[in-house]
Amino acid sequence: MNPSIKLCCRAFAALALAVVLGICAGHQWASPADIWQAITERDTLRGRLLWEWRMPRVLAAACVGALLGLSGAVFQGVFRNPLAEPYLLGASGGAALGATIALLVPLGLPQSWLLPVLAFAGAWGSTLLVLGVARVAGALDASGMLLAGVAMAAMLGAIRSFLMLALSDETVSLQVVMSWVLGGIQTPTWSGLGWLALVTLACLLATQTLARGLDLLGLGDATAQSFGLDVARFVPRAVLLGSLVVAAAVAYGGLVAFVGLAAPHIARWWVGPRHRWVLPASALAGAVVVTIADAMARSVLPPAEVPLGLITAVAGGPFFIVLLARRLRAHGGRA
Amino acid sequence: MSDAALLGAAHLSVARQGRALLDDISLDLPQRGAVALIGPNGAGKSTLMQVLAGQLAPDGGAVTLQGRPLKALDVRARAQHLGYMPQRFEPHWDVTLLDLVQMRLADPAQAAQVLALADLQALALRRWSTLSGGERARGMLAAVLATDPPVLLADEPGAALDVQHRLALVQALARRGRERLVVVVMHDLDLAFECFDRVVVMHAGRVAMDGAPAQLLHAPQLDAVFGVHFERIVVAPHTLLRARSLSLKEKP
Repeated sequence: MNPSIKLCCRAFAALALAVVLGICAGHQWASPADIWQAITERDTLRGRLLWEWRMPRVLAAACVGALLGLSGAVFQGVFRNPLAEPYLLGASGGAALGATIALLVPLGLPQSWLLPVLAFAGAWGSTLLVLGVARVAGALDASGMLLAGVAMAAMLGAIRSFLMLALSDETVSLQVVMSWVLGGIQTPTWSGLGWLALVTLACLLATQTLARGLDLLGLGDATAQSFGLDVARFVPRAVLLGSLVVAAAVAYGGLVAFVGLAAPHIARWWVGPRHRWVLPASALAGAVVVTIADAMARSVLPPAEVPLGLITAVAGGPFFIVLLARRLRAHGGRA
Repeated sequence: MSDAALLGAAHLSVARQGRALLDDISLDLPQRGAVALIGPNGAGKSTLMQVLAGQLAPDGGAVTLQGRPLKALDVRARAQHLGYMPQRFEPHWDVTLLDLVQMRLADPAQAAQVLALADLQALALRRWSTLSGGERARGMLAAVLATDPPVLLADEPGAALDVQHRLALVQALARRGRERLVVVVMHDLDLAFECFDRVVVMHAGRVAMDGAPAQLLHAPQLDAVFGVHFERIVVAPHTLLRARSLSLKEKP
């Protein structure tokens, strides 16, 4: 069999396994036979619980993971930095601030579309700001960009906390906003899940148009330009699309750290550095990682649920430190 | 500018923080020929290459390609006409040589053929980090030339190579000069005078000398530009330059 087909089969098998595991896991464990029963006949309470709650939740987790993985691959490609990540660069923080404003500030507009729009505006604005700050400071290298991102994330977090303290009341409880900040998949209806799947698919297809540009950008500005890429036009376009993907991920899953960092690494290890394959592979890796993390979030402390963001941070933090240490060693003390 | 010029520069100037990097440079470069660009550090060689390649917009003057202003061409058209080998090339991701050539081409299916022509098939699937300096230089040259651009601009392509690989690379560039236009920034003066048809000497952002190697080699102005006294050692049929002593800074 063609090696790339074999690879695809394995990747999808991994995702299918993670999804089945995700549906089985929870406050009450279900067996694969229970899942089959829930799909075929939904008249028992257990069947309905699985069908109406657990399955859409697990599939939503897979979609959010795919969006996070995709956004990470776009950001690492644009910033040409294996340590870049929407969460660390402040993009997720910007999206979360936008979402908080939509939830807490009475703007008199329907929340269902205000939330994703403001999340996108926040992600886009903060990424452009980080790029601008790094450019003004003349620090377009990895460490400069990360520091600018960390500063941005801290400021955005502070503004968000202030809004939460000042504006939350009985109608919009802190709990709703907190569940965003700590990251957590909302259980959608099946039609809601359909929309999420559609958004994920659209993001996958849209980011494919960036693949060649991201490949060329990885050769350095001078070579990218001489190989025919209009760098000055491409970077803002890629940042815009990347921010859209981040906004979609945050709108459905809140602030989930480090998936955007880890997934592209897994993808490059799988399929090599060409973005035509890295982008979908990173989406797949993200889907697997978040599906498993969400299953853990639901089953570690039953009947309570651990926020998803805590699990990915606990697992992803050490991953980041290992990457950083390897990079520092390879670059003689510079990130 | 003569009609025969393929690449032309007219009154180029570039200034940074009040310092002129390029000061009223005009050059006509013909359809074919191997041109070496030499000069001391800070003479403006790399800046001129960047302007000629369309990487840097000049503050004054203009570059023309086949009589048309370079800035009127979009990036893709420029990439078709101009091959540019930068001073340093280090990809951010560990691509294979085949990847690199594919990225240069509009039709990636031709990449294998390009590598076969350059006798690099054996290295096609090797990752960049596993290639030696010489292999990288040959690979990068093959990628830049994959579209057979009428103009090749190379900025010190052999700087990091050992003597054997540098000679092989410079000879390959000079050979291409028989068919196409090749402009190379060189630090090795002997190779520049030996292998190239025309030598352009830059000093302080201006063209100090421009002509056939035999004309320039014995000119006292060359010593003044580099700030040394050269001893000319004749090893027939070539003349080699050896810096004997520092001379006092004098303007050529």
